Amino acid sequence: MRIRTRQSRRRIDRITLNLASMIDVTFLLLIYFMVSTVLARPEDRLSPSLQTRRDSTTALISDFQPQRVEVSILDGAPAYRIVGRVFRSQADLREAIEPLPKDPGLFIDVHDRVPVGFAVAAIQAARDAGFEQVTYVPVK
Amino acid sequence: MRFPRRKHAERRLMLELTPMIDVVFLLIIFFMTTAQFARLTRADVDLPREKGEQRHTPEEEGIVINITRDGRVIVSNETVTLDRLEELVFDEIERSRGRSAELAKVMIRPDRNGSTDRLNDVITRLQGMGVGGARLATEVPGQTGR
Repeated sequence: MRIRTRQSRRRIDRITLNLASMIDVTFLLLIYFMVSTVLARPEDRLSPSLQTRRDSTTALISDFQPQRVEVSILDGAPAYRIVGRVFRSQADLREAIEPLPKDPGLFIDVHDRVPVGFAVAAIQAARDAGFEQVTYVPVK
Repeated sequence: MRFPRRKHAERRLMLELTPMIDVVFLLIIFFMTTAQFARLTRADVDLPREKGEQRHTPEEEGIVINITRDGRVIVSNETVTLDRLEELVFDEIERSRGRSAELAKVMIRPDRNGSTDRLNDVITRLQGMGVGGARLATEVPGQTGR
């Protein structure tokens, strides 16, 4: 027969910490932050060098003819122009610049009033075509 | 004497909550930090849909310049003039001790539907300050995320 001693009674009456309220608050906080967080789309980047038009022409005039793509509005629509040829899509531009030598890099002259997305597409086309050195030249 | 009942009471089921609380706290900390970061630097702009350089190397963001569709320039949730932008970029150059203006970290987040007028203005100012390069943020098409 086991007799209930003082020691065994103490073991039974041990202190218990009630975690229920803390878990409630924690879950409420979690739900609040999950709901209130703005959903951000994944971003990447393009890193062109920056140069003004004057810098980009004077620096290279003595060395070689720079390779330039002009991004402007032609006949009311945005267009890419390279050595007199006009392209209206990123894919066509990429195809045109792919055979060019890569070492001199590529200058992209961006005129005003062109949609930003169209201008950035030219930088992407240059990267995709294998140009490491791409320079953004704003043309005012 | 009640032998059988005591045995039952000692064998009650214990639910181990510690790992769950750990995970929940980690999630809260994650949401708290990322939510605040996104709100401070990124304005709501529709970025150009390009895949970018796909380098996957973490880089210091530096100053983040948002350009909205209507040509407003927003830095740290505040619309700024081009003169004020110059001051902020100058502060950024000053802050990054030992680094020249040429290598200053500048991220531009332009709205793809906006005109290049304002983007050209910003880039001309940056170039005038000696900033040699900028990163143009793009939205990777066909991907969803937090």
